[in-house]
Amino acid sequence: MRRHIVVLVAVASVAAACRPAAVTTPDVVAVMAPAVPESPDDPAWANAPEHVEKLLLQDLVEPRLMTASTPDVRVRAIAGPTEVAFRLEWNDASKDDLPGNGRFVDACAVQVPQRADPNAPDPQMGQAGKGVQIAYWRADWQATVDGRGTTIQDLYPNATVDHYPFEAPTLEKGSAAQSEMARRYAPADAAGNLRGGARTSPVEDLTAEGPGSLSPAGGSKTRGRGVRTATGWSVVIVRPLPDGLAPNARTQVALAVWEGAGKEAGARKMRSGWVALAMRRTS
Amino acid sequence: MARVHNWQIGREMSYWYPESRPKKQFAAVFDTNKCIACQTCTLACKTTWTSGKGQEYMLWNNVETKPYGSYPLAWDLKLLEMLDGGQWSGGTYTGQTIFESARAGERVLSWRPEGDDYAYPNVGEDDCAGTVDGGMSLSMPHMAWFYYLARICNHCTYPACLASCPRGSIYKRPEDGIVLVDQGRCRGYQECVKGCPYKKVYFNPMTGTSEKCIACYPKMEVGLQPQCFVNCIGKIRMAGYISTPENARPDNPIDYLVHVRKIALPMYPQYGLEPNVYYIPPIHVPPAFLRQMFGPGVDAAIAAYRNAANDPDLAGLLSLFGATESVMTRWVRKGEEVAGVDDRGTTLVRVPMTEPVHVRAGFDKIYQVMRSNCP
Ligand code: SF4
Ligand code: SF4
Repeated sequence: MRRHIVVLVAVASVAAACRPAAVTTPDVVAVMAPAVPESPDDPAWANAPEHVEKLLLQDLVEPRLMTASTPDVRVRAIAGPTEVAFRLEWNDASKDDLPGNGRFVDACAVQVPQRADPNAPDPQMGQAGKGVQIAYWRADWQATVDGRGTTIQDLYPNATVDHYPFEAPTLEKGSAAQSEMARRYAPADAAGNLRGGARTSPVEDLTAEGPGSLSPAGGSKTRGRGVRTATGWSVVIVRPLPDGLAPNARTQVALAVWEGAGKEAGARKMRSGWVALAMRRTS
Repeated sequence: MARVHNWQIGREMSYWYPESRPKKQFAAVFDTNKCIACQTCTLACKTTWTSGKGQEYMLWNNVETKPYGSYPLAWDLKLLEMLDGGQWSGGTYTGQTIFESARAGERVLSWRPEGDDYAYPNVGEDDCAGTVDGGMSLSMPHMAWFYYLARICNHCTYPACLASCPRGSIYKRPEDGIVLVDQGRCRGYQECVKGCPYKKVYFNPMTGTSEKCIACYPKMEVGLQPQCFVNCIGKIRMAGYISTPENARPDNPIDYLVHVRKIALPMYPQYGLEPNVYYIPPIHVPPAFLRQMFGPGVDAAIAAYRNAANDPDLAGLLSLFGATESVMTRWVRKGEEVAGVDDRGTTLVRVPMTEPVHVRAGFDKIYQVMRSNCP
C-alpha cells in the first residue's frame, strides 16, 4: 500500500514539473486589451495572470453539497473597451454533457455584484436589494452548440420509439401544425423555458437576490465557449464590463463549478466567496 | 422547519413550510380489489399528456404488481429500509417521517433512482408471493398472493417534491390542492425527483425540466374526473375532494369512504406527506404486508369492505365508482337507488343497487332459432 502511494506522489510531481510555472495572483486581474479573446486556446490568455481560487462546499443552504469535489478553479481575465472575458479551467476526469434521468452535466458560473459596493452583497447568490449578475455555462448546451443532435437517440443512443403522435403521416413534416402539436407535449418549451433541446449559446445570463431567487436576466449579453482539455474543462465567458470595473477601480467576482459525475446541480455545487476583481493595463 | 398537523399519523410533525391547507383538496379513492392491471389508465394518461420527446419512460400513472413490482425499481423498498420501520401506537405514528429524519444537508430523507431504474416497467413482476399448493387459496388471507397497485401523484398535503425544490418551482394550488411543477421556473435540478418518496416526479431530458401528474386540472376545473379515472376498465376509481376529519361530511363520497367508514387508507402514511389518494386494501393479502403499506387501519377497513353486501350505504356508494365522468361532490341513497350529485344539487347519475336481471327464453320466436350462449 505504502509503495503505491510513493509511486503516485512521484508521478504527480513529475507531471507538475512539466507544466510551465504559472504566475498566480491574489486577485483576479483583468488585463486590458483592444479586444477580448473568445476561444479558450487563444494565445492572448498567456498575457493574463492566473489566479487559482480554492473552491468551498455550498454548505450554507439546503440542499447542500456534503462531499467536496472540484478543489479549485484557475481563472484568467482580459478586459476590452466594453467587455471582459473570463477563462475558467478546472480538472475533471469525466466529460459529463448528457442530461438524463439521474444524469447531471458539468457546468460553471461567474458572478459579479449588480452594483460595485465596498459592502458587497452576500457572496452566496446575493441578497434582497443587493442583487448579483450570473453568467452560467453548461456542458450539454455546449455539445448542442457544437453540433450534437437533439433527438432522444442523441441522449440515449439505444432508445427506440414506436411513435410520437405529432409524427403521424397525416401531419406534414416540418409544418406549423406539427410543431404546434409537438409543443403540447413539451410544456417547458411552451412556457418559453428552454433548458434543453436546440440552442445557439452555451451560456445564460441570470440575476439573483439570494438563494432560490435565480431568474433569467432577460436578453442575453453573454457569450461563451468551453472545450475539453487533457485534464478537464477550459471555458471562456465573455460578458459586459461589470459595474465598477475600470482601471484603478475594482469590484468582486465569485465562481462556481458543478461536477456532473457527482450529480451536482443547483445548490449542490463547489463555489468561492468574493474575490477582488481588478483591471490593469499590462500583466 | 415548521410544526404542522398531519391527521393521517395522528400528531404534529415538522415540515419545511408552515401549514397552509387549500380551500379544497383534490382526492381520490382506488379500490385495489377491482383492478385488473389492464393499464388502460396508464395509456389514457400517456396519450393525453406524455407522448412527447423525452417523456418516453414517464408514467404519471403506472400500475405495478405487488409484492415484486415497482416503478421505478424498488421505489418503496429503498425508502422503507432507510426509514427503519417506525412504529404505530394506535392511530399515532411514533416513528419519524421523512421530514423528521432528513440527513445533514438534505431537506427530506430520500434517495435518487438511476436511469436504469425506469427502464423496465412491469418486467417480470407478475409473480405470486409463493408457490400455490392445493387448497391454499380457499381461505383468507391467501398465503400465496399478489395484487395490482395503480399509482398516480398523491397531490399530498405536505408534498416532499415541493419541499425539496430549492427555488420554489413546485406549488400547491390554493383553490384545489393540486400540486404542479411550474414549467417556466423549473431549472431541472431533479431535487423533486429525488425527494418524492412515491417517485412521481420525472425528469424530461429533452426539455430539461421535471414533470408530474397534473390531476387533469383542466378537467377537474370544469367538474370532470381525470382521464385515468374515466377510462378505468375495472371502475376502481373515484375523484373528488376531501375534508379534514373534523370537517368530514357524510354526503361527500370521499369523506364517507375515508373518514366516516374508514375503508380507504393513505399509502405509506408514515412518510408524513398526508397523501390524498386513498386505497381500499386488497382483502386477500396478509395484513402484515398491508399494515406496512396502508397503516394500522387495514384490518377494520377490510372487515367493513367484506361486509358491504349487508351494508346498503357502503354498497350503494361503491356502485357509483366509474358511473359518470362528472365529479360527484355529493351522493345520496334513496332505497334501492344511489345517485351522484354536484355542488349545485344537480343529479349527475343514478344507479340501481341491484342490476335488473333479464331471462331470455331458449327459443327466439321472431327468428325461429334456438338461442345459444357463448361462454
Ligand atoms: S406524490 Fe410525490 S410528486 Fe405527488 S405531491 Fe406527493 S411528493 Fe409531490
Ligand atoms: S384502468 Fe383501472 S383496472 Fe385497468 S389497470 Fe388502470 S386502475 Fe386497474
